[in-house]
Amino acid sequence: MPPKISRPWLVALAIVAIALPLIPYRFEVSAYVVQMFMQAVTYAIAVLGLVVVLGYTGQINLAQAAFFGLGAYGVALGTVTGGWSFWLSLAAGAAVATGAGLALGLTTIRLGGHYLAMITISFQQILDLVLVNWIEVTRGPDGVAGIPRPSLAGFELADDRAYLVFCAAVLYVVVFAVWWLPHTRLGRAMRSVRENELAAEVVGVHTLRTKVVAFSLSALLGAIGGGLYAGGFAYISPDNFNFARSVEFLTAVLLGGAQSPFGGVIGTLLIVQMPEWLKHLPESLRFIKDVYLAVYGIGVILIMVFLPEGIWGLIKAARARLARPADTTDTSGVAPLDFDVPGAAGGPVLRVKALSKHFGGLKAVDGIDIEVARGSVHALIGPNGSGKTTSLNVVSGIYRPTAGQVMLGEEDVSLLRPHQRAGRGMGRTFQNIRLFSTLSALENVMVGAQRDRNPIGRGNRALRARAMSALAFVGLADRAHVIVRNLPYGHQRLVEIARVLAGHPRLLLLDEPAAGLNQTEKMEFVDLLRRLRGHGLTIFLIDHDMGLVEKVSDRITVLNFGRKIAEGSPQEVLRNPDVIAAYLGTAGKVN
Amino acid sequence: MALLELREVASAYGNVQALRGVSLRVEAGELVTLLGANGAGKSTTLKTISGLIAPVRGEVLFEGQPIHRLGPEAVARMGISHVPEGRRIFPGLTVRENILLGGSNRKGVTRRQLEAEADEKFQIFPEIRPFEHALGWTLSGGQQQMLAVARGLMARPKLLLLDEPSLGLAPLIVQNLFGAIRDIRARGTTILLVEQNANMALSVADRGYVLETGTLILEGSPRELLDNEEVRAAYLGGHHA
Repeated sequence: MPPKISRPWLVALAIVAIALPLIPYRFEVSAYVVQMFMQAVTYAIAVLGLVVVLGYTGQINLAQAAFFGLGAYGVALGTVTGGWSFWLSLAAGAAVATGAGLALGLTTIRLGGHYLAMITISFQQILDLVLVNWIEVTRGPDGVAGIPRPSLAGFELADDRAYLVFCAAVLYVVVFAVWWLPHTRLGRAMRSVRENELAAEVVGVHTLRTKVVAFSLSALLGAIGGGLYAGGFAYISPDNFNFARSVEFLTAVLLGGAQSPFGGVIGTLLIVQMPEWLKHLPESLRFIKDVYLAVYGIGVILIMVFLPEGIWGLIKAARARLARPADTTDTSGVAPLDFDVPGAAGGPVLRVKALSKHFGGLKAVDGIDIEVARGSVHALIGPNGSGKTTSLNVVSGIYRPTAGQVMLGEEDVSLLRPHQRAGRGMGRTFQNIRLFSTLSALENVMVGAQRDRNPIGRGNRALRARAMSALAFVGLADRAHVIVRNLPYGHQRLVEIARVLAGHPRLLLLDEPAAGLNQTEKMEFVDLLRRLRGHGLTIFLIDHDMGLVEKVSDRITVLNFGRKIAEGSPQEVLRNPDVIAAYLGTAGKVN
Repeated sequence: MALLELREVASAYGNVQALRGVSLRVEAGELVTLLGANGAGKSTTLKTISGLIAPVRGEVLFEGQPIHRLGPEAVARMGISHVPEGRRIFPGLTVRENILLGGSNRKGVTRRQLEAEADEKFQIFPEIRPFEHALGWTLSGGQQQMLAVARGLMARPKLLLLDEPSLGLAPLIVQNLFGAIRDIRARGTTILLVEQNANMALSVADRGYVLETGTLILEGSPRELLDNEEVRAAYLGGHHA
């Protein structure tokens, strides 16, 4: 559900939005000013693409001007060279740009961070070179002139004022869509990738697809902005679409606030208008005119240093202070969590066969066999560095096995990616909690509920209901709307478990779930594990607290140096002399 | 004069109050433990002492000198070493380099002596000796924890602040670790220890404080705390181990 906007805000926003582009009809405004707004509006559409890819998905993109250029050249060459209609040309440019965005997004399969920045810069430079040098097609540095404007449903948009109204309408549609996006399945997936890509993948988000879609959307919006820009100014040349312009777009989005479409629009307005204001200073301040670029640069730096979330972040914080939302959530009508997994039959839930994982010469896991019986709690223990977490990483798909097999039920999942395993009912938590820290507890758990093939109804309502039930199960339903990083540590551990439960797991993998809990919290945790087992859930867990392991486990496997050294019931294993020597020591006493 | 004294210290993260007027003393040579639930303010107390957080109110005195306005490096130079929670090791340096760096605040110590001390650390944590020349990030979670503690010990501090040193360690290693903590103390280092494993902590401590939502609610000897009904219910799982 998108955030609620209070009625007075909405009305004020609507009035300003509708009135602004109509001003030139009512008052005398120079053509120069109208064109400047046309520039701001078309730029803003491109900048909103960056809100999606950078603000929501956390992927750096320094090639937005290239996509902007593809849209602009699509319109220019389509209409002028090809003699196509404006709309067909725009669609063609947008299609090419989206394809390029898709290709760029695919590079994120291997690269992230500064490597991705390099890739996008390279793409930007390549396009720049093509536009300048492929003269037969692009007309080179001279650019393309005489680009016509379209007509829409019988209205000619040739007049500057009419064209501005049209561009503003497109911008508003885009603002609305980008504003709505974070609260959809796709938007939540994007934000989970931004917050913690590994956790997102393991929870069931197809992270690569999410990033590719984000890049494609960004490119599409860039191209639409560019296409409208070309129509607006009738003339374009390669230097409108170079790297400096990409940096300008990036500055705009960071300045305004990358996490909100309103931030993107505010940032763009400032970037386009600020140099103009500085030019029109009164006589006494004219000296600034000579250094206005420096003043402008300093202004941008100051805003970025002191407002890391941009100008919109400042406005948001002010609004939050005025109207503090309730900390607790109404929990009436939350259904009890249902654990039934369709099609679950007998036989072991997890079978690990001769599994090995080697890192160079280090045999972290060296040929282990484990069977986890349906409905049981199976513990994996062993000294630090004995290969426990590595085993869990191979089972959940973070690492590919060097040799051996992982079977989930009757299916060999050894070569599946983590989100595919999550889509088949494998869920896990992490040693050092991995939540999506700026999302609410509810949103975190909803991401878990939206895994592929989760047997719940379609739509946000079903996801939300499922997530609330999972939170209620761990006793946190009333904290559903708290941003998780503000929750105490023990509660964060529970949210992480609720996130897995929301996805109807057939197998729950827990990596040191009780680490950092005190004895009393551990007792509560033991109760939670017993309740889960009572509902028929199969649990495979790692922990170092032997009191806890002994209380909850049906079976224990002990690893040392990547190999299994013992297996059996808690009584057998914890008395095994090898296990005592390698792992337990004289439990409970200081030597 | 106590080695460390906190007087009515209040600390906050933004507008979230974490400590609400905490007063405590640690005498030279003592091993004092700080117990409390998650979010009670134990780690915040340590961060306030080591200068990572500036208190909103109150004073922190070390050897009688106020240190609450000093930055973390100045505090470290005065002889306070903080081993934070969460395995903050240097991933791109070798295990041995990580340990040696722990001694970088000490003046007039020869490289040879530091190397010898690093070898001692490998006796405390034999599990990480085989990885002496491996890079920090290749260690498992528990091994990184051992490395962080080993590095903190290299500082030879007057006061050692340990934040949940046993987190994620195998039982055998926890025993080694607490044995080591006892040895360090026997050699004259004063220790303030934060632990979730209250039984273990009280078994080595001289005194303990119990912190609840930013306020100290109890102080006493390990025996007194272990016998206290409230402490047992809240932190020891309700039964006496």
